[in-house]
Formats: sequence, C-alpha cells, structure tokens
Amino acid sequence: MSALELCNLSRQFDGLTAVDDVSFSVNPGKITGLIGPNGAGKTTVVNLISGFLLPTRGCIHLYGEDISRIEPAHVARKGIARTFQNIRLLKEASVLDNVVSGFHRHERSSWWSSLFGTPAARQETSEFREQAAELLSRFNMLQFANLPAGNLSYGHQRRVEMMRALATQPRLLLLDEPVAGMNDREADALGEIFKRLAKDGLAILLIEHNMRFVMSLCEELHVLDAGRLIASGEPYAVRAQAAVVAAYLGG
Amino acid sequence: MSNFILGHLSLFELVLVCSILGYSQYIVLRAGVFSMATAGFASIGAYTAALLSVRIDSPLWVGLLAAATIGALAGAILAWPLARLRGVFQAIATLAFVQIVISIGLYWESMTGGALGLNGIPKLVHFGHLLLVMSMVLYVLITLSRTGIGRAFDIIRQDETVAVSLGISVVKYQRLAFVLSGVLGGLGGGLMAYRNYSLVPEDFGFPLLISALSFVVLGGRIAVFGPLVGALILTLLPELARPLADYRLAVNGVLMLLAIIYWPYGVVDTLSLHWRQRRAVRTQVEARS
Amino acid sequence: MLAQQLLNGLVTGSTYALFALGFTLVFGVLHVLNLAHGAIFMAGAFAGLYAVTAAELPLYLAFLIAMLSGGLVSVAVDWLALRPLRQRGSSEFAAIISSLGIAQVLMSAGQAISQTQIMRFPFGTFPVVIYEFWGVRISLLQAAILGLSLLLAFTLLLFLFRTDFGRRVRAVAISERTSSLLGIRPNIVYFQTFFISGALAGAAGVIIGLAFNSVHFLMGEPFLLKAFVVIVLGGLGSIGGALIGGVMLGLIQTIAVSYLSSSLSDAIIYSLLFCILLIRPTGLFGKLHIETRVVRS
Repeated sequence: MSALELCNLSRQFDGLTAVDDVSFSVNPGKITGLIGPNGAGKTTVVNLISGFLLPTRGCIHLYGEDISRIEPAHVARKGIARTFQNIRLLKEASVLDNVVSGFHRHERSSWWSSLFGTPAARQETSEFREQAAELLSRFNMLQFANLPAGNLSYGHQRRVEMMRALATQPRLLLLDEPVAGMNDREADALGEIFKRLAKDGLAILLIEHNMRFVMSLCEELHVLDAGRLIASGEPYAVRAQAAVVAAYLGG
Repeated sequence: MSNFILGHLSLFELVLVCSILGYSQYIVLRAGVFSMATAGFASIGAYTAALLSVRIDSPLWVGLLAAATIGALAGAILAWPLARLRGVFQAIATLAFVQIVISIGLYWESMTGGALGLNGIPKLVHFGHLLLVMSMVLYVLITLSRTGIGRAFDIIRQDETVAVSLGISVVKYQRLAFVLSGVLGGLGGGLMAYRNYSLVPEDFGFPLLISALSFVVLGGRIAVFGPLVGALILTLLPELARPLADYRLAVNGVLMLLAIIYWPYGVVDTLSLHWRQRRAVRTQVEARS
Repeated sequence: MLAQQLLNGLVTGSTYALFALGFTLVFGVLHVLNLAHGAIFMAGAFAGLYAVTAAELPLYLAFLIAMLSGGLVSVAVDWLALRPLRQRGSSEFAAIISSLGIAQVLMSAGQAISQTQIMRFPFGTFPVVIYEFWGVRISLLQAAILGLSLLLAFTLLLFLFRTDFGRRVRAVAISERTSSLLGIRPNIVYFQTFFISGALAGAAGVIIGLAFNSVHFLMGEPFLLKAFVVIVLGGLGSIGGALIGGVMLGLIQTIAVSYLSSSLSDAIIYSLLFCILLIRPTGLFGKLHIETRVVRS
C-alpha cells in the first residue's frame, strides 16, 4: 500500500486555483520528489497534506485512511511530520528541548499526573530526554545539546528541525525545501541522511526546486507548474520532457 | 532577616496573596493565551469564600476550596468560547468578562451587598496558611513545567504552527490554561477575602488586573519564580523607599515600561537565560579542548 | 419621552465615538491597542481646564490648546513606549503592556497635579441655553457635542481618503515594508497618526469634561473600557465603524438604563461585546481582515 496518495486534489483561493487536480502517491522506503518553479503550488500541497489547508476538491489518503478533512494537529498525530521552508525552531529553548518537543505524540501520562508530578510522568520526561540525546548522538550533534537552538548555524538548525520531526516517529516525512540556502557540500551531507532514513523504510516527500539535489536523491519525480502536474516518473525520463524544460527555463 | 519578616508580616502576607494572583495571570501567558480575566476570577472566588464564611460560618479550607472550584468552573466556561479567539481579541473579551463580573457584583445586592460590599468577613488567613498554599501552588507549577503540560505550553507560546505540526492540540491546552488560571485566580480571591475584612466589587477592576499583569511582566513569564519575584519587588519597593509610596502608580508604570522595553523576559527569565547561555558556552569550550 | 431618551443616547453615543476615533485610528494604522489613550484624553482635558481656569483663556482657545497638548502627549507616548518596541518587532502583547505602563505614569502625574481632586469648568464657560423642538429638549452644549463629533469624524475621513497624507497613512497601514520601498517614511506617518489621535483625544477631553462637568485623573478609564465596545461593534480600525458603534452604544446604554437598571446596563453592554467578538470578531461592519483564529481556512 502506498504511504500517501493524493487523488484529484484541488485548492482554490478566492477563485484562483493554486493546486489543480493533482494525483500522485508516495511509497515507503523511497524518496519521492515534488519539484516546480517558484509559485507552482508546492507549499500549498504540503499545507494541504499536513492539514493546514482544506482541499476544495479531492482526497488525501495516509496508508489507506482518508485524512483530507481532519484537524492539522490530528494529522500530525496520525504520523505525518514536516519541516518548514523557513526553519521554525524554538530559538530560546535548548537544542535538546527542541528535540524533546517532538515526542509529544508519544506522551502517555495524563494531565492529572503531569500536574501532580506522579513518578510515571517524571519517568516519561526523563525517557524522552534520553531518547532525544540518542537522536542527537546519531546525527553527531550531542555536543550542542544545551545550547539555545537559535545560536546554531543554519545547517545545524536544519538538522535540529529534522530531528524534531523524526522524534515524532512519523510514517511520512514532508521536507519543504530542506536545502534552500545551503552550499552543495552541506546539501549532500543532508541528502545522505535522507537516503538512510528512506532505506530504513520511511516514506519521504521532498519538495525542492534545486534540480541537481533532487536528481541525486529521488527514485520518482513529479513536476508541478502553475498548480498542475506536468510530468511524473523516473527522474531522468522526467528531466528529458520538453514541458519540464519549458517550465524551468521559461521557454 | 527573620526579624524583618516578623516586623512586616502583613506586608509579606500581601506579597503572597498578590503573587498567587500573579500566577493566575502567569499560567495563561505561559500558554500563549492573552487573557486578562484574573481580576474576574478573583472577584468570583472572593465573594464565594466571603459568603460561605459570613452566611454559614464555614471553615477556612472549605471556603478556599470552594473559591478555587468556582474559579475553575468560571475558567472552564470562559475557555469554551475564548480558546477560539486570538491575541487582542482574547484580551478584549476577557476585559469584558471582568466588567461583567463587576457590574453583576454591583447589581445583585441581596447576595453581594452591591456597591457597599460585604463587611465583617472574619480574618481567617494567617501567614502560615499563606505559606502552605503558596508551596502547594509552587509544587504544582514546578512539576507542570517539568512534564508534558509545561512543554506543550512553551511550544504553543513560542510558535503555534510548530505546536500544531507536532500534534499538539492548541485549543485543548489553552482551555486547560484558562481553567488553571481560574483555579489560581479564585484561590487568590478567596485569600484576599479572608485577609481584607471587607470586599467591594471595584476591588477587582482595572487596577487589580494591571498589577497582576505587572508582577508577571516584571518577574518573568517562563520561570516559575518570576511572578513571585515580581510581586516581591513591586510590593516591597514602595515600602522600602517611603517617598515612592505616594507615587505608587508611577513607580508601577515606569517599572512595567522599563521591563517590557529593556528586559522583555522579566527579571528571573533574563537572568536564567543569561546563566544558561554562559553554561552552554562553557561546556562547548570544554568539549572542544 | 422615548424621543428625549433617544436624543440623550445619541449625545452620549457621540462622546463615545469621539473618544474612540483616535483609539481606532492608531489600531488601524499600527495594529496596536494603545491603552494610554484614556490617559492622553485626561491630559487633554487637564490642559483645556487649566487654560480656562488658570490662564483665563476663552473656551475656543482652550479647546485648541487641549487638542495641541493631547497631540503632543500622544506623540510622546509613542516615542517613549511604543517606538522602541516597533524597532524590535515585538508582539502586540508588549505594546499593550508598555502603553499600560505609560498610562499609569500619566495618571500619576494627573493625580499629583490635581491633588486627587475632581475639578470643574467654571460656571458659564459654556453658555447654558436650552432649545425645545416638538417637546424634545436639547441644550446648546448637547448640540455642540453632536455637531463637533460629526465634524471631527468627517474631517478625519476626508483626511484619510481624500488627501495625499491619507494615502500614505493607508499605505503604511497595509504594509510598512512595501510603503517604505515606495518612498514613504513610516516613522513620519506614525508620528502624524499619533498626533492626530492625541488631538482628537484632547478635543474629546474638553467636550466630555464640559458635558459631565468633571475633570479628574481617572476620567479616562471608563471611556477606554467603553471604547473597546465601540470599536468591536464598529470593527477594529474602522473610522466610520467607530462613529456608528459609538452612537449604537449610546442608544443601547440609555435605553438599558431607563428601562432596566443602571448597574445592569454595563453587564448588558459588555455581554454584547462578548457575543459580538465570538460571532463576528471583525465587527458588525468591519472589512478589516485580521487573523483571528487558528482555524484553518
């Protein structure tokens, strides 16, 4: 079963169609790319999937379950994690606390036990901190654990944001232009991490307009232009299509 | 030190009552809710406690428990519609709530004594009681900060979109914050009633609302000890520097202004942020060497 | 009887509208709730009163002095309390706190100057003349209040929608960044906005001081609270809305006071405010679009 399936998804803003009849699917264990020039509607697609926008028409299925009309927080609890185009970290909180915040979905202790500090609630907090530290060490970031997240470099902030997304243990990861503003070396290092995650069975939807980066990572590519899908398939086959060249080069 | 406290016992009682009201304000701000309803909760709690002791002679703890419960109830009712509003709209709506409570207090003479208020309330609260209540409040707030609720509040305050994307239900947590604010506000009001001998509806108007806000702004909105420190400074300062007492309003105003412009995190949070930064830099240096 | 009450309501309502004009103007342009507006209004009333009592100036001069002082105090409020926050890009919360802070400083100054006394304009400052039409009595003062409120509101509207200055203000209100790219200097626009807002508050101070024959350091508070109702009724940031909202509030209040009870009238008004916020947070006529909820669109 595909992890994510969009069927005839459309969204209009005051008569303007931002996403028009888009259908594609994302499979577990693979990185699927969604590319397109600026203003093609890529971020609108992300916002539709994560529930921040309601579709005008069409549906969204997550592992066969229709999620197109449920609240965004609920969508997240169903197992969709995302990163943001402009990194959104809690800048004053420490790196560790930022990652811990991703564990919210796995909280089991009730409000009462949180208010009165039962041993179970305290235990849960210290478990989350340990798990967050493990994640940090897996990505070689443990030495930054106690720094305020806002003090880190851009590339490191990106990693923290991704670790927070991973902490939710998602079934689908949405990456909204994760390498924007990075040089090739930094981007490739991040790309390696994405590959590893996909290999472990995660479904990843990568939204980008950096063609080089996408070509090196994705097994399947979809091209969006002016809200419509103009090409889908194997990366090299897609790149060869005339319409894609036209959309990118404005021909 | 202890002599100083004994000599100024009533002053320290005042600090404790004030800071409980400050905590009612603190808890909503910490969850990113812009509520000013504390004065209204306090009024409801105070009248409940006072009436229980004047009319049916109920003991202290029953009165306080009732005050906190009815505050929670008011918070829950108010939270239902208000968690849907944002920012200034929340502020205006809660201001309206405070005004509604005042005018009902003035109108319902058979119950509240109207503009003349309630008099002859026995002084049931003493310093020891206040310390006990305060330590319970601090215990709950500290544990809350260290567990899931505190984390959720902090994320919501800093970035609602992130909170939602992590699966946190903003409306649910903000409703919880309203209810907790109601509990603390009602409790603070009950303590006021058992300390002040008398109550009038206007005790719970704009000035009370502003002082609750100023304790939190000056002390800090994140660290649990913020409001206590804020209340301590704002209550003791005019007493220690006598000439300032005549200009209490101006002192309050100037401190609020300076705090929000130059120390936007308040005294306690600015210090703890500074300390955390230094420690983090130090550990980083050690890690490298 | 009813006609008389409606007229009284209309006059009361136009004082509310007059007070709310400057308040809503600042919100419309800067998206800031200036809680010092009540204190600025008080400062204007003090200036007008002392111009009449201490300097023995004629009323029209005192009125101008009140407007000028209101404007200057308002600019000072912006300069000291709000501009530093703007530069830092702070939240609306910070602006509310700092305007509350400076309001307390102004009120404390008013308290010290007036020695906590309620002051009055000397008898005869405004000629006591009463007209009667079809059994409805209206004093010259009431007529003047109505006339002035309308005049000031329409002047402000003309200013905003028919002059170059107004175009600049509206551009900044929509986007500070874009308008500064177009060569508009937002700081000058803010300065002008605060001056006009304060001048309107000063005018309201003298008129209301005359109407209720009392000037004191806490006089701004009830009007500020009423102004919330006015601008929510009319839509936050809307000038025309403030005018209509003020008059509606005046009428509702007068009717509630005369048919129910005066202390219950406040409960009714603020419950109304509460309900409108929940049903139509942009006001009954407001077009101003503001993100008001976290509900997705």
